[in-house]
Amino acid sequence: MYVAAASDEMIDRSGRLRTAWVPVMEAAYTIGPDELARRAVSLNRQMHLAAPFGASTAREYDPLPAPLTAMEFAVLEVALAQRARLLNAALEDLYGPQTLLRDGTLPPSLVFSSPHFIRSLHTVQKLAVPRMTFYAADLIRGPHGGFQLLRDHTGIIPGLGHALSLRRLTAGTVPEIFRAGGLRSLRPARDMLTDHLHREAQGGLVAVLSARAASPAEAQDMTDDALLARALGVLLIEPGDLAARNGALHMKTLSGLLRVATLIRGLSGIELDPLEQGGRPDAGVPGAFGAVRAGLLALLNMPGSGLLEGPAFAPYLESLFAPLLGETPLLERAAAETAPSHAPFVNGAALESRPMMFRLFAWHDGQGWQVLPGGLGFGISSQAAPLGNAGVKDLWVLEAEEPHFIAGAAPAEPPARPTFLAAANLPSRVADNLFWLGRSVERLEAAARLLMLALPRLESGTSLPRDAAERRLISRCLAQAGLLPADLSGGAVSGRLLRSALVRRKPVAGLLKEVSRLVNAASERLSPSMLATVRFALNQASEALPDEENALPSILSFAATFAGIAAENMLRDGGWLFLEMGRRLERGETLAEGLSLLLDGPPERLEPGLGLGIELADSVLSYDLRHAGILAPAPVLAMLLADAGNPRSLAYQCAVLCNCLKRLGADDDAEATRQLQHRAVELAGAATELRPALAAIAADLRLLSDHVQRRFFTLLPEAHQLEDQETLEAAQ
Amino acid sequence: MLYRLRHSTTYDYAQPVVMSTHFMHLLPRERPGQRVREADLEISPRPETRRNESDYFGNPTTTVSLTTPHQRFSVSLSATVEVAPKPPPPPEATLGWETLAAIAIQDPQVAEFCLSSPLAQPSDEINAYVGPSFSPGRFVLEGLIDLNRRIWDDFAYRPGVTSVVTTATQALQARAGVCQDFAHLMIAALRTLGLPARYISGYLRTLPPAGEVRRRGADQSHAWVSAWLGPEFGWVDLDPTNNLLVGEEHVTLAWGRDFQDISPLRGVILGGGRHTLRVGVDLDPILT
Repeated sequence: MYVAAASDEMIDRSGRLRTAWVPVMEAAYTIGPDELARRAVSLNRQMHLAAPFGASTAREYDPLPAPLTAMEFAVLEVALAQRARLLNAALEDLYGPQTLLRDGTLPPSLVFSSPHFIRSLHTVQKLAVPRMTFYAADLIRGPHGGFQLLRDHTGIIPGLGHALSLRRLTAGTVPEIFRAGGLRSLRPARDMLTDHLHREAQGGLVAVLSARAASPAEAQDMTDDALLARALGVLLIEPGDLAARNGALHMKTLSGLLRVATLIRGLSGIELDPLEQGGRPDAGVPGAFGAVRAGLLALLNMPGSGLLEGPAFAPYLESLFAPLLGETPLLERAAAETAPSHAPFVNGAALESRPMMFRLFAWHDGQGWQVLPGGLGFGISSQAAPLGNAGVKDLWVLEAEEPHFIAGAAPAEPPARPTFLAAANLPSRVADNLFWLGRSVERLEAAARLLMLALPRLESGTSLPRDAAERRLISRCLAQAGLLPADLSGGAVSGRLLRSALVRRKPVAGLLKEVSRLVNAASERLSPSMLATVRFALNQASEALPDEENALPSILSFAATFAGIAAENMLRDGGWLFLEMGRRLERGETLAEGLSLLLDGPPERLEPGLGLGIELADSVLSYDLRHAGILAPAPVLAMLLADAGNPRSLAYQCAVLCNCLKRLGADDDAEATRQLQHRAVELAGAATELRPALAAIAADLRLLSDHVQRRFFTLLPEAHQLEDQETLEAAQ
Repeated sequence: MLYRLRHSTTYDYAQPVVMSTHFMHLLPRERPGQRVREADLEISPRPETRRNESDYFGNPTTTVSLTTPHQRFSVSLSATVEVAPKPPPPPEATLGWETLAAIAIQDPQVAEFCLSSPLAQPSDEINAYVGPSFSPGRFVLEGLIDLNRRIWDDFAYRPGVTSVVTTATQALQARAGVCQDFAHLMIAALRTLGLPARYISGYLRTLPPAGEVRRRGADQSHAWVSAWLGPEFGWVDLDPTNNLLVGEEHVTLAWGRDFQDISPLRGVILGGGRHTLRVGVDLDPILT
């Protein structure tokens, strides 16, 4: 039973369902309360799993949209555009001629005492880009039905990424509510925005600038930044990806520096440029302000535009309409006592009536202000209460009866967009993360596979010489893989000893943690659905963990999921190439090292090692089918070393590596792997002296790995601030 | 007075610097009573790019980037500057300090120098210190001269006890410091009363005029205070490190709210390891 508030979005004063809500509520009733509750949980899990960088937010997402009628939106559209014009005009003045201060419209201390007044970006000439390109307004609907303003967002625009993405994600969870249609699509507006951004960038890169993955606290909302980058189809980058050269900003990529023309800013402007503002060089972008003043960089919004958000400004803003625009404000500010209207939010199997705040978004397209026909609805506890965890929902704008034409800059020529998919344009940091992700998943899988094989054998072996030999070999492999302390590897280890080592040292948990960290770090290169699948499998493995032994099947299942996703869902672009190289290098190295231990001995005593080798390479079935299960050196070596059709053979790893390196233009390294492949094939024909030859191949693969790292992830020395110590040192 | 000014700064790095960007306030500005006849900044090694701008306060800035590895970075300023400041008005001709504070906060050109800045923030301790110099209704210049002398009296000139990030309150607690600390303390003290004060970086003539004592802070970058006397008389400079009303012995480089606004040489470098720094300053009168 929904108890409507006195002022309710869904129910009018006479207790009737408002027309705009009919399609939404019809769908909700069709779905049924229990199912709707389940869908809400599922939507939240999706959003959580798809969140980049593992950033968990306290937000709760509500599956029910809040519809606005075409008429309501038309009124808001004009009012928002007017307010955006005003705020930008005020910023242009305060960062330029300061007429508002000279003529006494604003008290000087209002501006000069704010930390958001960034003096370095005060300019005599207007900048090529407006101080404010994006704008958002928080609104409530008062008891008489009119919208009132709670606050302006003029600096960092919170929630734009969500506003452009939430509908797509909701549509997957509650498709029923979209069937009636009749709502305005966000796509034309979003396409116009991306076209505008690329046109202005004139071939330079457009990207969203967020904090470093390692320090989410520094960005206001990294999840939103990542969603925005995805929605606009631009890169998400962090300060460390950027370098200033010749006065302009560039992104460090595998092939060198690419000029950055436009950054949508998710970082505060207060410490953005360590060169001019001081502070840690790696937390900001040294040289950014100089590039802005020289017209070589557009920061959206310009640092310092948050100035007008200060509560001290609020009482003065209304008085600026007359001098700056010659107009009266269309949107009035909410009085402190105004109670917001309520809207329904899903709360378990019930619909709960909560006060709601609307957030609408606008941007300047070079000609005028465009308002997004959508937005976000936030459940709040009262007007003044902090936002966030009382539900976030999609705002709908319903179609007018008459067809609606979108006005704005005519999309003349589709602007040239630089292609990011080319391997060469991948940010070095991203390639680095993917390379190590590939390695660490493979390492985890190999450890799980080895433990699965080792535990039962060490437990149940007889004292027959063959079994004893097998146990010794397994112990050596375990020590080599770091799953047993090295001092235990001398003799044969018992199952009990291995178990107690696992309990004490928790090696699998450590490997899984590293995989998890790298999945987060590389998350921007995985699509939301891929990310959700990978995280789900990862969570299952982690949950099984404290007991390392029982977790092994879930870990193998995670590894299989991951491999499947990489094979079937990733474009074979730069990112995939590095993931693949990481996996192949790790697998090749592990195989060569493992075999060098297992095949250490005269040909007549190789049998136990051959059997284990086949098992570790997951090739038992294929071998049995081909050779009727009779173990002999030649066919085993052919299958493990030389078989180009076996995805777990050494030759196969080398062939794939060679291919990846060729595609990356690293012809010399490709040639080195081709020779390694040749050596592996040759080795399969020789049944003696395997150990040194295999150890040499493993060593060469390690060298290759170092070389790939040096080649692609240019290890520049760390930047630091040259402290200005002159006053001090000179005086000593 | 016509001066020949030389200021050289040299960084020697233990390891090569691969790349660097520097942002400098090292060219002298124009101001009433000071004309820059010529000024040149020689930078070695030769930068790839060099951009000259004027900052928010009207000070010249130079941004350079170097992309060739180097182990030494040096910047040399040589300039000819003419100084002819207007003598200050008689103190009793200036406004009462409360009246002046009320005008200043409304004046968009002056207001921000009444407000706190990172290194010169008012505090209770500073407020207690400044009180005796500004009794109710006192002429502002009288109070300024008194405060200037008291700081010179009460504080020890002692290099090494403070750093470039020492605040006015910390300097007050230490009762010692260098010119930068004397200036920050006086600025913060004036701001607790709502009086506008600027931080000035510049130079003091190397050898004093005949018969005068050698000044503190010659032979190096110096810093002092500029205070506003109202629309009629404008800005007057005081040097609390030497208990002087600034006349013809000082050459202004730049001004801001405090040191941070006009740090002479900032940089972000890649590589370099440890460095040593050498600075040389000469300000000599040109006899005409």
